[in-house]
Amino acid sequence: MYETIGIWVGALFTLAIYSFLYKENPIYRLAEHLVVGISAGYGMAITYQITVKPRLIDPLLSGDHWILLIPGILGILYITRFIPRISWLSRYPIGFYMGTSMGVYFPLTMKANVLRQLEGAMVPLYQSGMAWYEVTGNIIMILGTLAALIYFFFSKPHKGLFFGTGSKIGIWVIMVGFGATFGFTVMGRISLLIGRIQYLLGDWLHVIE
Amino acid sequence: MKRTVPLMIVMVGGILMILQYFIPHQISQTVFAYYTDWTPIIVAFALVLGVGSLTRIHSHKIRRKAKNWQYSYAVLIPLFGMPVLAHIWPVSLSGGMESPSIFHFTFMHVQVSIQATMFSLLAFYIASAAFRAFRAKSALATVLLLSAVVVMLGQVPIGELLGRWLPETGLWILRYPNLAAKRAIMLGVGFGMLATNLKIIFGVERNWLGGTGK
Amino acid sequence: MNIWGKMLNIDRRWIFLGIGVVSIVPFFINFGMPVRTTREVESIYEYVDELGSDNAIFISFDFAPGTQAENMPMSVAVMRHAFYNDVPVFMTANYPLHHGMMLAAMDYVFNPTTEGFYEDVDFEDWRELREAGVTAKDELVEAWENQGNQLPDGATGWVFEGRDYAALGYAPVFSLVILGLTVSIETQYPVDAHGNSTGEMPMLQEHKSLREVDLALTSSGSGACVWWVTFAREKIGLPIAFGLTAVMATDYFPYLQSGQVIGQMGGLRGAAEYEVLLAENGITPSTDKAFVGMDVQSAAHLLIILLIVMGNIAFFAGGFHKKTLLKGGR
Repeated sequence: MYETIGIWVGALFTLAIYSFLYKENPIYRLAEHLVVGISAGYGMAITYQITVKPRLIDPLLSGDHWILLIPGILGILYITRFIPRISWLSRYPIGFYMGTSMGVYFPLTMKANVLRQLEGAMVPLYQSGMAWYEVTGNIIMILGTLAALIYFFFSKPHKGLFFGTGSKIGIWVIMVGFGATFGFTVMGRISLLIGRIQYLLGDWLHVIE
Repeated sequence: MKRTVPLMIVMVGGILMILQYFIPHQISQTVFAYYTDWTPIIVAFALVLGVGSLTRIHSHKIRRKAKNWQYSYAVLIPLFGMPVLAHIWPVSLSGGMESPSIFHFTFMHVQVSIQATMFSLLAFYIASAAFRAFRAKSALATVLLLSAVVVMLGQVPIGELLGRWLPETGLWILRYPNLAAKRAIMLGVGFGMLATNLKIIFGVERNWLGGTGK
Repeated sequence: MNIWGKMLNIDRRWIFLGIGVVSIVPFFINFGMPVRTTREVESIYEYVDELGSDNAIFISFDFAPGTQAENMPMSVAVMRHAFYNDVPVFMTANYPLHHGMMLAAMDYVFNPTTEGFYEDVDFEDWRELREAGVTAKDELVEAWENQGNQLPDGATGWVFEGRDYAALGYAPVFSLVILGLTVSIETQYPVDAHGNSTGEMPMLQEHKSLREVDLALTSSGSGACVWWVTFAREKIGLPIAFGLTAVMATDYFPYLQSGQVIGQMGGLRGAAEYEVLLAENGITPSTDKAFVGMDVQSAAHLLIILLIVMGNIAFFAGGFHKKTLLKGGR
C-alpha cells in the first residue's frame, strides 16, 4: 500500500513536470519550489543525524569530550552572519576552513592534476606488439596535449611556427574532444529520459518489465 | 580583529597544512587527525546559513506579497517539515528517517520524481538544439559534428550493427584525441587551482571576507 | 519563406513528440541488441571479482536524484557483485541528497521484487551471534539458518548489516571526510545511517581506515569523483574506479590513461556493460535496467543524428548559410 501510493504520487509529479514541455504552468512551478524546500530540509535532518548529533552533541552531553567545544563554538560563529553588528565573527570559521583546506588541497592537487598528468603524457610512442592505430593514437595524444596547451596559452600572440601552428592544431584537437563530449551529453540526457519512461511504464503502469 | 585575524588564520592554517603533508611526523599526524575530525563538525553549521537565507528570502516574499508569493509556502513548509518529521515528530510507520516513514516517502516519491524528471527534460531540449543549432558552418564545426556523430553511434548497440569500425573509431577518439584535449584542460585547471590556493593562503584573494571587508 | 525555412522553424513540440515516441516504442518491441564490453569496464569487473571476504570496498554515492537513471544501475551492479563474493561494502555519500540515493540503492537490492535480491539482516537482529564471536560469513550464515531462518525463494543470499555492508552515508565537507577516512572510518562515522554504532561492526574492526580497504568506486554525477582521486588515490594509493554520468565521462580519460583510476563506467552504456558481465558470469540471473534501456538509446541516437542531418540539409539547401539571421521557432 505504502509503495503503491508512493508510485502514484511519483508518477503524478513526473507528469506534472512533463507538462512543462507543452507550456509553463502552476503545477510545474509548485513542483519546482517543492524540490528546493525538500532538499534543504532533508539536508538539515541528515546533517544533524549523521554529523552534529553523534560527533558533537552526544559526546558533549556525555561530559568527557569538552575539547569538542572548540569546533562547536567555531561552528556557531557561522551563525553570527545574521547579526550585522557581529557578523565579522563568521570570518573566523570561514577563514579556518578556507586556509586549511587550501593548504591540504595544494600538494595533492599538484600531484593528481599536474604531476601525474605530465607523467601520463610521457609514454613511449611505440612498443612491440602495438597496433598502428595505437601508435598513431599515442602520437596524437602527446602532440595534441602540447598543441591544446599552446592554444590555452594567452601570454604570447598565436603567431609563428610554434605558437601559430601549435594553437591551430590545438583547436582542432579540442574540437574533436568537444564533439565527443557532445555525443556523450546526448547519451546522458537520453538515459535520464529512459529512467523516467521505465518508471512510468514499468513501476507505475506495469506495461513493461 | 575583523580583517587581520581572519587573514592570519588563513595564512597560518594554509601553511601548516602544506607543511604537515611534507613532514609526516607523529605530531603532524595527530594535528591532521584532529583537523579531519573537527572540520566537518564546524562546516556542518554552514548549512544554517543556507537555510537562514532561504527562509529570509521566501518569508520576505510572502510578507510583501511579491509575484508568485504563494509558491514560497511550497519551499518553507517542507524546509522545516522535513527535520520535524525526522526528529521532533516522526509521524511514521516505523519512526523518523527509516523506511517506511513520511520523511522517507517524501524524499523517495516527491523529491526523486521531480528532480529526475526535471533533468530528463533536457533530452527533449538537446534534440531540439541539435536540429536548430548543430551546423557544419566551418571546417572546425564539421570536425566537431563528425566526432559527435561517430561517438554517438559508437556508444549504442546499433552502431555495432552498422559496422564494427564505428564503435572502434568512437573509442579511439575517446582514448586519444579526446584525452589530449581533456588533459590540456585538466592541466590548465590544475595550475589555476594551485594559483588560487596560494592567492587565498597569502591573502591576495580576499573575496571570501564578504561585503566591504570592514 | 520557402519550405526549408518552414522546416527549420517547425514548432519544437513536434521534435519533443518524436523523442517521446522513440523513447517509448522500443520498450515494447524489445530488440535486445547485444552490448559489447570494453576494457574500461572489464577492468573494474575483474578487479572486484578477485576480491573476497577478507577484502573490503567503498561505494560512494556521489549523485543526486537527477542522474539516478545513469548512476544507480552502476552502483547497484557493483554492490551486487561485491555481495555475491562476500566482499564487505562501505557506502558513503558526498551530499545529503546523495545519502538518499544510497538508501534507494539498498531498497532496490534488498527488495524481494528485484530479481536475484539479497535478504538483508538488520544489525540488531544478529547481535546475539555477533556477541558470541560468529562473524565469519560462512559460519554466520550457518548459525543464522540454524536459528530457524530460511532464505526466501528467489533470494541470492544473506547480507548482514555490519558484516557485509555499512551504510555510512553523508558527512559535510566530503573532500576532507575522505582524508579523514584515511585515518579512521569510525571517527568520521561514529554511527551509520540507521543509527547503529559503527565501532561494534565486525567489518569496521577488520578495516579501520581506507588504508585497509581495497577499492573505492565513486558513482558520480558531480566533481566528487576527483576528490577520491586527489585525496584517496594520491594520499594513500587506494585504487579508485569511476562510475560517471555520460556528460562527465569524456573529461576523465586522462585519469584512466595515467593509471590513477583502474576503470570507468561511462553513463548508461557503462552500467549496461557491467550488467552484461554480471549476467554472463552467473552473478545475477539476468541483465537489469541499464541493458534494457540500450535499445531506446540506439533509437534516440538515430533520431537525433537524423535531426542534425535534416537541420543541416535545410540550412544549406535553403541558403541560410548566406544570411545572418534566421527567425527562431518556438
